[in-house]
Amino acid sequence: MEASRRDFIHVALGGMGAVGALGVLYPILKTLAPSAASVTEAKVEIAIDSVPELGMRVTSWKGKPLFILKLPSDITQKYTYKVKKESKNSAGKLNQEILRDKPVFALIGVCTHLGCIPLWKPKGSSDVKAPYLHCPCHGGLYTPWGDNIGGPPPRPLFVPPQKIEGNKLVVGEPGFVKELV
Amino acid sequence: MNTWGMVKTFVLGGATLLFFFIIWIYNPFSPHEEYPLPAQAEEIIKDPRSALEGRELFKQYCTSCHSLRYDGIYLSSVAAKPEWSKIEKSQGKPILEKRDGKLHIKGYFVPRDVYEAVAFQELESLKATFGKIPPDLSTYYLARGPGYLYQFILEPDKILPGTSMPKLFMPEFDKEAPQKVAKIVGYMRSVSEPSPEEKAKRTLMGMLTIGYFVIMGFLLWIYRKRLINRMNL
Amino acid sequence: MLKKLLDWLDERTHVKDLYREQMIDYKVPKNLTFPYVFGVLALITFVIQIVSGVILIMYYKPVMAHAFDSANYTIMKEISFGWLFRHIHAAGANFFLAIVYLHMFTGIYYNAYKKPRELVWIVGWVIYFTLLTTALTGYLLPWGQLSYWGTVVTTEIPASLADAPILKGIFTAIGETISIWMKGGYKLEDLALGRFFGLHVLLLPLILLGLVSIHLFLVRAAGISNPEGYEIDKKSESEKLAPFHPYITLKEGAIAMWYLALFFFFVFFNMSHFLPADNFEPADPLKTPPHIAPEWYLLGFYEVFRSIPSKFWGFVAFNLILILLLLLPVLDFSPLKSARRRPLFFVMFLVFLFSSMILTVLGTMAPTPTNAQLGMFFTFLVFLFFLSLPVISFLEWGWYRARGGKS
Repeated sequence: MEASRRDFIHVALGGMGAVGALGVLYPILKTLAPSAASVTEAKVEIAIDSVPELGMRVTSWKGKPLFILKLPSDITQKYTYKVKKESKNSAGKLNQEILRDKPVFALIGVCTHLGCIPLWKPKGSSDVKAPYLHCPCHGGLYTPWGDNIGGPPPRPLFVPPQKIEGNKLVVGEPGFVKELV
Repeated sequence: MNTWGMVKTFVLGGATLLFFFIIWIYNPFSPHEEYPLPAQAEEIIKDPRSALEGRELFKQYCTSCHSLRYDGIYLSSVAAKPEWSKIEKSQGKPILEKRDGKLHIKGYFVPRDVYEAVAFQELESLKATFGKIPPDLSTYYLARGPGYLYQFILEPDKILPGTSMPKLFMPEFDKEAPQKVAKIVGYMRSVSEPSPEEKAKRTLMGMLTIGYFVIMGFLLWIYRKRLINRMNL
Repeated sequence: MLKKLLDWLDERTHVKDLYREQMIDYKVPKNLTFPYVFGVLALITFVIQIVSGVILIMYYKPVMAHAFDSANYTIMKEISFGWLFRHIHAAGANFFLAIVYLHMFTGIYYNAYKKPRELVWIVGWVIYFTLLTTALTGYLLPWGQLSYWGTVVTTEIPASLADAPILKGIFTAIGETISIWMKGGYKLEDLALGRFFGLHVLLLPLILLGLVSIHLFLVRAAGISNPEGYEIDKKSESEKLAPFHPYITLKEGAIAMWYLALFFFFVFFNMSHFLPADNFEPADPLKTPPHIAPEWYLLGFYEVFRSIPSKFWGFVAFNLILILLLLLPVLDFSPLKSARRRPLFFVMFLVFLFSSMILTVLGTMAPTPTNAQLGMFFTFLVFLFFLSLPVISFLEWGWYRARGGKS
């Protein structure tokens, strides 16, 4: 009897102590949680005319850089890319299949390798003789639609939900891309 | 403990408790003004529903002179500037509001220096008219309390003689005036005080914390008694 | 598993010896009374202040344009649980000072400043002084009306030296120099805010940490005092002693839990005195708030300062009280210890305690002539306490001798 009561108090003290420690940790960790305000710029509108042909504009969406690209319609005839066919986006497709026929589209400008921001090379370079995206950190190469050509990136660039409304591209609302892929 | 010891404990402990009661809980000696609130007004102010209407009334009656930055409300003359909506978005942080279970952006919280730079001309002309810049009202519910605000908005000159705040509500002509004022104060309360759900959460959290420590104290006390008996101390 | 880890650690660090030495073999008198718990409570509050302070510092901005908003918008409305940590920090500051005062009065009551504990008292006094500075610098940070004007008044107080009856020029220069140095200019601005911030969050807490460690070391070295006022002989009176753990640790641990319950009652349900309404108005250098008084822990000194008609002598008087507190071990040179065995000292202790409390309460009242007279009277009583100590000691030496050196 005596022993069991002592045991009870040990268990109770230990249990309460653990609860107390969690109780202190919880609000401390909670203060570190992202502020809800930082992920709510849910909608960005870009006038299509403001993007030059073969040019790129950079803006931000949900705190991440957003690339707006306008490609000449004959780009696929002019250049061929050696796309890594096996690396697909989360919809199981190549970005090109979704975006090719759009006059203007948006990509999330964060390299899928380690999060650097790729550079836009509209004139290509001595190695890649076509417009492409080049990540300066570890040499990831992407087609203008964000599909992998070379380097370490494991998957194509993310494509945010977007639609075309009159002469505006609206990023953040489902259209020809329904959700982030 | 002998009688003398008990008397000493009682006097010293009692005096200490009384002292801290006076300075931390209720001090009858310090000068303070009371601003009573009519029961009807109090009811409106405490009603969370009046906040929404109050916000519209605030925009209508107050924003020609006052801003309320913590809720994304700025001087109407500044908010009307063509560049303002872009400044808000690029310099401010969105203020979120939960409506129908979804987060909406209610407005933007623009840093004070940015706002004052953009609103420089408007603030200067208000200063020229009133002698000083009418304050931003974000925290005034906490600073002044509901009674003061209600009475002051109804009759500025009576509460603060010589104030440059004009009398905007005339109960003689507008029967709704006292309700409108109460709604405005209710709105200011909603900006400064946590929402009813949040308040309930905090109360519960407080009770749990206090309960935890009380029980933990008893457990330790019992544990110690046992140990000491066992060790024959 | 845990045991193996402990053994591994012990082989390399001898923690077990340390534990035995510090917790079990360290003996404390069994007759310690309730007020002896205040030391531990102060320590706990110090830890609370450091933890909550570290969290607040991540979101606070020490710039005039953003200080007020970072405290009242970012911390109170934006960060989850920011309000909780601000409440804890504000209540903690008040509790810290309250516990330190209770700890000091306990020390005075049991004469814990006498041989062999003079250094404990002196280091404790320095802790108290540093703590007041920490509180003052922290008070400015929210940049509300009370923060601003409280600091303006505080930085003006050294300028009272200009009222000196002699050597006016020198005193004026000293006072103004101190005043300008505290503010970092002629006005309270960004420079002062940054300076106060740096002191409050880094330098002063570091100094406090060092001083508290020394204080604890000294207490261990000199042994804890005894309510009966004599030193217990470890060999012949071992039945009066008990091991520190678990005898005292668990007792004070239980009391500490109840103390925290009280503390969190204030944190959750009674913050209006710790976050006063007037401070929710942003600092305005062109308008003084109607009721401006220092925080309660300085009100006693403030009342002394304001009831004495001459600013210079008021300034001298309240600084003198601080210095007399430091000099207690010298003033009270009687060999007898503890108010329990010293009836004259007991009476004067009551006079001192009640005068301090009454002065504090008077400080909260409006400055009327009657108030000032009462303030003068109780200031006189406070000084009477300090001045009576040598006289009491002298008389007690007589008794002590007459009884052949036995108390």
